[in-house]
Amino acid sequence: MITVKDLHKQFNENHVLRGIDYKIEKGEKIVIIGPSGSGKSTFLRCLNLLEQPTSGEIWLEDTCITDPKTDINKIRQRMGMVFQHFNLFNNLTIMENITLAPTKLGLMKKDEAKEKALQLLARVNLTDKADAYPAQLSGGQKQRIAIVRSLAMNPEVMLFDEPTSALDPEMVGEVLEVMKELAESGMTMVVVTHEMGFAREVATKVLFMDEGIIMEENTPQEFFANPQCDRLKDFLSKVL
Amino acid sequence: MAEWFAEVQEKFVAAFITGDRWKLYFEGLGMTLEIAVFAAVLGIVIGTVIALMKLTTGKNGRGTVLSVIANIYIDIIRGTPTVLQLLIMWFVIMKSSQNGLLVASLSFGINSGAYVAEIIRAGILAVDPGQTEAGRSVGLSRIQTMRYIVLPQAFKNALPPICNEFITLLKETAIVGYVGLSDLTRVANQISSRTYEAFMPLIGAAVIYLVVIKILTVLFGKLERRLRKGDYR
Repeated sequence: MITVKDLHKQFNENHVLRGIDYKIEKGEKIVIIGPSGSGKSTFLRCLNLLEQPTSGEIWLEDTCITDPKTDINKIRQRMGMVFQHFNLFNNLTIMENITLAPTKLGLMKKDEAKEKALQLLARVNLTDKADAYPAQLSGGQKQRIAIVRSLAMNPEVMLFDEPTSALDPEMVGEVLEVMKELAESGMTMVVVTHEMGFAREVATKVLFMDEGIIMEENTPQEFFANPQCDRLKDFLSKVL
Repeated sequence: MAEWFAEVQEKFVAAFITGDRWKLYFEGLGMTLEIAVFAAVLGIVIGTVIALMKLTTGKNGRGTVLSVIANIYIDIIRGTPTVLQLLIMWFVIMKSSQNGLLVASLSFGINSGAYVAEIIRAGILAVDPGQTEAGRSVGLSRIQTMRYIVLPQAFKNALPPICNEFITLLKETAIVGYVGLSDLTRVANQISSRTYEAFMPLIGAAVIYLVVIKILTVLFGKLERRLRKGDYR
């Protein structure tokens, strides 16, 4: 579904991604872990071109999204993204946050979008917050809304950039719960996270990134039970 | 004491009552407000456009033709005195126009635009980049993201300095006497030269400015609170 070929990203002198090749199949749940500065967030942000790769190719199905001729806005409609800091639109109510893109992009009529939003809100138990503003919500609630906002576009794949890292510990669970349900529904997901429990339970593949490359890739059972490279053994011994 | 009161009363009557002079003040105030409001609207429109132009960046992070034009405009306007701009507009650029109100409004609007541009640019830069990223990530275009997400928040950020700019603008219109328009300041000045008495007309005009600006401050405060309704609680 997503094919990455020899992806490089440089910020001035800083070589963050040093050649990534990977293929993500439909329905897979890829969890990416690694130390900070390993390039995992940059990799994720390259997938929907929030970060412009320095070189390499990214394909979504049979569209090369790194081709300058590709309409990236159309591609992004098919790829949802959830951020560490939620990034809900502060000037809009929750309902408007969810319906803005589908209506302004002409994908749904207003009533249709509202109905869909209410269904999605019910799914995360936040129907009563439809008319609230983001500032009135807790972190966990904001992140659940952010997920819903992406889902309102009916994406084919969802990207999560450390979705629980900015949350109070007691709110992590409610967000992971929503993500698990989403995984069970068959959504293709790419998740950058430090939640090892989530990786174990939900991932179809776990990737370990360090120094801008994918150092190790395995099923969650093997990944945690039999880490191969020393760097990963060292990393796991510190975080588990 | 009684003598003093009688004198004050006489001066007051001469400055405001005789020949219905109070009407002149209000006509002057009308002129002042007309110029200020028209110029403020023009200033905000120009300012927004110039701010957006200045924020455009080329592929390699350098300026674009648009941002260079915006910078030149801001440099020229901020680098020359407002009175001079007004005089140039009146005697050079639009010398065939007999409509002083139009010339003054345009001149002040173009002047204000340069300052408002920087205010709005600061307002835009103060919006968390995450807002733009979120907008783009759901598939909105650059323009849609700007229009529906960034600019509304930028205007809210910019409201206090815009209020400040409008107040400055309103008082700066006091120089339109240079091109023969009868605004509040010029009216007060004319009356004082007719009555040979400066205190009453000048203080009177000052009080009128003060009251108008106080009312504006209160109104802007209300607007600001309304726009902030999404922020807390």
